[in-house]
Amino acid sequence: MSAPSAVIILESVSKRYGSATVIDDVSFTVGRGEIVGFLGPNGAGKTTTMRMIAGYTAATSGRVLVAGYDMATDHVEAARHIGYLPERPPLYDALDVAGYLRFVAKVKGVRRAAIAAELERVMAACGLEAVFRREIFKLSKGYRQRLGLAQALLASPDVLLLDEPTAGLDPAQIQEAREVIRAAGRDCAVLLSTHILAEVTLVCRRVAIINHGRLIAMDSPNGLERAVEQTNRVTLEVTAPAEALRERLLAVDGVSGVEIRTAVGDGSRLTAECRVEASGDVESALARAVAGRWELHRLERQQPTLENIFLQYVKAAPGRDGAA
Amino acid sequence: MLAVYQKELAIYFRSPIAYFVVAVFLLGTGYFFLYNIFLTGETAMAGTFLSMGILMVTLAPLISMRLLAGEYSAGTAELLLSLPLPPWQIVVGKYLGAVTILLLMLSGTLIDLVPLYLFGTPETTTIFAGYLGFVLLGMACLAVGELFSALTHSQIVAALITAAVLLAFWFVGHLQSFQASRALRGLVGYLSFSFHFADFIQGLVRTEAMVFFLVVSAIALTLTAAFLEWRR
Repeated sequence: MSAPSAVIILESVSKRYGSATVIDDVSFTVGRGEIVGFLGPNGAGKTTTMRMIAGYTAATSGRVLVAGYDMATDHVEAARHIGYLPERPPLYDALDVAGYLRFVAKVKGVRRAAIAAELERVMAACGLEAVFRREIFKLSKGYRQRLGLAQALLASPDVLLLDEPTAGLDPAQIQEAREVIRAAGRDCAVLLSTHILAEVTLVCRRVAIINHGRLIAMDSPNGLERAVEQTNRVTLEVTAPAEALRERLLAVDGVSGVEIRTAVGDGSRLTAECRVEASGDVESALARAVAGRWELHRLERQQPTLENIFLQYVKAAPGRDGAA
Repeated sequence: MLAVYQKELAIYFRSPIAYFVVAVFLLGTGYFFLYNIFLTGETAMAGTFLSMGILMVTLAPLISMRLLAGEYSAGTAELLLSLPLPPWQIVVGKYLGAVTILLLMLSGTLIDLVPLYLFGTPETTTIFAGYLGFVLLGMACLAVGELFSALTHSQIVAALITAAVLLAFWFVGHLQSFQASRALRGLVGYLSFSFHFADFIQGLVRTEAMVFFLVVSAIALTLTAAFLEWRR
């Protein structure tokens, strides 16, 4: 069922709290050396899925395997192979940075003699040297986030679970954090949950989209683009009567639907959104259909950005109580 | 487990609550000691120990409340419970941290023994028994406190419930006078923290009382570990 190098394996995993199903029959794998982006609207089940893989909470049914260990029975053994940065960095405010990292390193089984070097390694990777001795409650949000990332990197885990790792960082720090994640992704399996879609395109090899607790798509960013390109959109701005424009556009070969609304700021100008087939040169046919009769101000094919893809998937997926 | 214990101690030493609790305890104990020794003229610790017991029952919840509720509310539970640690190691490591604070607190009262030995001839064995009883009582209180700290995200709620439960265990023995049935009288007497503690104060180190406090601690800690496993 899964690739031999898969380090994270979810098999028909569900999580229910009472009668509410939070995660519904989710299956996917993440292999070593792979960074998978985990996308979904708020409340879709990203954090719960992360928590199940991290062993913080257990699946109600199905199986979660991490580094070959079943999380239901061997979560303590599996935890030795996991680095986890929850959505809210889990920091002890009363401790100082070094004391905190030393605690996590010890629990993760780093040998006493190797702890100093290991601390140096993760602090250098996350740019924490300047705050080595500072108490955690005095740290800025950016430093807190980086310290959270640093503890996840301790003991070189096989699995890295990062729940919005770049939240609260400034643009330069985001760049650095991405570099750290990319470097970590060369040796381990990374599952990266984020709201920043550009981050996914930049860092991840594959993307998993989850909504209402269900996995609705999992592919490379390019693969997802191809999948939605089947129904592309072309936008036109025309000065024309609405009904006549609609009829004219629908008559063009390859147009499957038209949506017309008044362009912002100008009552006479209309914006027409055409759903078109991805293949073929529909733009020139559309231009020909309009240009002779009415004034055409703008015509453009919307490239399927990850935002569009994401929204399209999330809108198309049936709700848990919906019948669609 | 050692790492959890060390972390717990480090956090206690940096938290104002711990200093506050120790200060209140030592002030209270000092007052009771002065009152019992210098006003009554007895060279015994019995009266002081009894007051220390009541102080312990009211202050222990303040030591134990943050053990797990603090982890939940700070979001660190998510780290702690996903580290390679079996729940019992988390529970025991934290518990030993709290017990260490108890021992430090108690060692502050040893200074009271100086005037006692300087100006009188107290019974060393009785004093030793009293201290042993106090440690066992404190251990039971902290274990119960840790259990309630695991059940709620709010430290205040954890402290209040723990205090209510501990006070109930402290005073339950007084129900004896209202019980007609012998079995019930025996039961409420057996459950009473203060009755068992009173044995120690009088210099009696009874196995039954020792086992009682140790069993209460063990049950509370086991339930805490089981709860942590169950809540996954």
